[in-house]
Amino acid sequence: MQALINTFMERRGDLYQALGQHITISLVSLLIAMFIAIPLAIWVVKYKRLAEVLLQVTSVLQTIPSLALLGLLIPLVGIGTTPAIIALVVYALLPIFQNTYIGISEIDPSLEEAADAFGMSRMRKLFKVELPIAMPVIISGVRTALVLIIGTATLAALIGAGGLGSFILLGIDRNNVSLILLGAISSALLAIIFSTLIRLSQRAKPRQLLIGFIILLVGFAGYGVYHKVNAPKDTIVIAGKLGSEPDVLINMYKDLIEQNEPRVKVALKPNFGKTSFLFSALKNEDVDIYPEFSGTVLESLVKVPKAQVGQKRTPQQTYQLAKKLLKQQDDLTYLKPMAYNNTYTLAVKKQFAQKNDLKTITDLTKIQSSVTAGFDLEFIDRNDGYRGLQKTYGLNVKVKSMEPKLRYSAINNQDVNLVDGYSTDSELRQYNLVTLKDNKHLFPVYQGAPLINKKVADKYPRIKASLNQLAGRITEKQMSEMNYEVNVKKESPAKVAKTYLKAQHLWKEAK
Amino acid sequence: MALTAKSGQPMISLQHIQKKFDGKTVINDLNLQIKQGEFFVLVGTSGSGKTTTLKMINRLEEQDDGDILIESKKVKDFDLQDLRWNMGYVLQQIALFPTMTVAQNIGLIPEMKGWNKQKVAATVDRLLTEVGLDPETYRSRMPSELSGGEQQRIGICRAIASEPPVVLMDEPFSALDPISRNQLQDLVLMLHQRLHDTVVFVTHDMNEALKLGDRIAVMSKGEILQVDTPAKIAQNPANEFVKEFFAHSNTELNLFETPLTELVKLGFYQKSSASEQLATFDQATPLTAVMDQLSREKAISITQNNRAIGTLTAQNIVAFLKNSC
Repeated sequence: MQALINTFMERRGDLYQALGQHITISLVSLLIAMFIAIPLAIWVVKYKRLAEVLLQVTSVLQTIPSLALLGLLIPLVGIGTTPAIIALVVYALLPIFQNTYIGISEIDPSLEEAADAFGMSRMRKLFKVELPIAMPVIISGVRTALVLIIGTATLAALIGAGGLGSFILLGIDRNNVSLILLGAISSALLAIIFSTLIRLSQRAKPRQLLIGFIILLVGFAGYGVYHKVNAPKDTIVIAGKLGSEPDVLINMYKDLIEQNEPRVKVALKPNFGKTSFLFSALKNEDVDIYPEFSGTVLESLVKVPKAQVGQKRTPQQTYQLAKKLLKQQDDLTYLKPMAYNNTYTLAVKKQFAQKNDLKTITDLTKIQSSVTAGFDLEFIDRNDGYRGLQKTYGLNVKVKSMEPKLRYSAINNQDVNLVDGYSTDSELRQYNLVTLKDNKHLFPVYQGAPLINKKVADKYPRIKASLNQLAGRITEKQMSEMNYEVNVKKESPAKVAKTYLKAQHLWKEAK
Repeated sequence: MALTAKSGQPMISLQHIQKKFDGKTVINDLNLQIKQGEFFVLVGTSGSGKTTTLKMINRLEEQDDGDILIESKKVKDFDLQDLRWNMGYVLQQIALFPTMTVAQNIGLIPEMKGWNKQKVAATVDRLLTEVGLDPETYRSRMPSELSGGEQQRIGICRAIASEPPVVLMDEPFSALDPISRNQLQDLVLMLHQRLHDTVVFVTHDMNEALKLGDRIAVMSKGEILQVDTPAKIAQNPANEFVKEFFAHSNTELNLFETPLTELVKLGFYQKSSASEQLATFDQATPLTAVMDQLSREKAISITQNNRAIGTLTAQNIVAFLKNSC
């Protein structure tokens, strides 16, 4: 509880901003969904068969997994608020459409007959009789939609639209329960508050509702225009995947670019959930630069020619191939890589290493009968994971499969004495672990380097030089240390980045 | 809609009307003349086509062949809204609009016609008073707060609010209890006498037809068997069917089966509990069951859930019967 309060106090500013984004995205989506679904439902009441078809369609739309929908939207509309709102509108259609349709089509036919017999026009009948009678059902549909939207809007964080989801994603990544709770509780509270407001609005008079509606619309329109007008013109967008490491890196990129090209403004979009989203965004020029691993490029972003699939490659070869294929296939520029290799690693407690004189994985095989490993499920099943270890090193230990974050607690509690991990994980530093050298080069190479789209590479040639200053720098140990600063010591990524640049004399203090 | 017909002239004429449902002819060559200012009743069993005939007059149904004339103009030549604004309509299901107050329901057509607010409000109050409901109490109630009989009183007010020359009533009282039905029959007769409107009234109840109609048309299977005044139909039924129908109707309204609840509701009892010891009856007991007791005693005590709510005397019963006849 105390931790939660502390986190809240620390991140109040961020939370308010996220809340604002969350509310904006949710309400805009709700309004759009209402403007589509309610008139549509009113129109199809007369055409029963068409209504059935539309109900089916909206139901099917709702079954599309939200991640898939976001993925499909990125190539069409890019990243950010637009695809998030489109996805949310799609989900909100069903409850609103269904309830409006049911609310109106289930009105007692004798009331319809009475309205006709009194010479009401279609419009008058709709506004004086049908809508007022159907209103409670329609409003309950709108409430359902809103609760759904507010919950689903947490996914908007995955595609750079911000909102409370960014807290949850960050919390999951940093194993910080307080952050997750902060995001989740805020989102739940938001749903409850708005749902209550909508329920209360049922008692308001139609005219008051209409005025409220118009105020909301004008507010959003104003907000939108304000942002458009204020958006800086010469802005480079640098994004990063979820986690402290990309966050620190993009802050370094920003500092380096702004130092050498003062006329350029850099906007940062940290904590993107999915690699594929980010890569699409880069190709769409919604994002201009982001740090990517050479291994990831070959594995999932480009098509590797058949002849070269499955070959063993040195770090240098991996990078060169990735660079060549990115240029050929997507016309993207891949700058020089940094030193560290963020790949799988095996880690043990420092005392354990000293006691058993462990330096390499080969050393480990000599004492393998006394080893119990806590491995991530995926690692156990991969050919470049435990299976490869068995084949290449003849390693054979007792294995417990564990959630990635649990492994570290397990080794700290001495439930296991060997874990897999990534070579720059902050936990290595946090729990005082040492990594064992992959002396037979089993693990694939994952070297980070800036990936730039063509537009920015052509327009700002000096950016290459700025970012290449990092080439060959940052060791695994340094990266792990910086991750530790952010994740455990709660330093801001911007500060950690700047501290590193200063120490390396890459940052010149303004005179 | 111009109103030029004098009393006794044909107001509504149905000429060679044919109506099909799903290709099946339900009404074939129906001819009928309804005079201005008359209370005309269409009576028949269910499926006789009487409601369909009624609904063709305000075009809720369209005939497949033949013409319907109001005075001398075909209904299909009228502006639909104009036609309907000048024809009141009362439904069996009552169908008050549930989201509107009593006053809004009654004032609906005057408001659509563009009357000013004061005139609408005054009309609403006058009509409420006329149908025996206190405007202060009822004006702003919602339909769901009213009993069936009260609801249909409002339904009638709604139909006649703008004093239309024609009022159509589709079995308006068949869903009501016998007492309310009786009271409302009296009410529509009273209103008809004041307004001199042309009423077309559909019912399956011969008693009701005989009580209300200036003239009655007996329908069966889409045909009109006989059109005449109640007395003439009674004396000279056109055929066996009419005779049968007429005979069955003679079962009088059995007022003596009325539960005590009704008398309590209508105020035919004393609220004060009597000082002496009386025989007690639950309020669900029918009148017949307490007659015997009341032939010997002055009064009985009415109870609800074993709690005395008042006393009933023979005098009360006589007053009730007089009111119901």
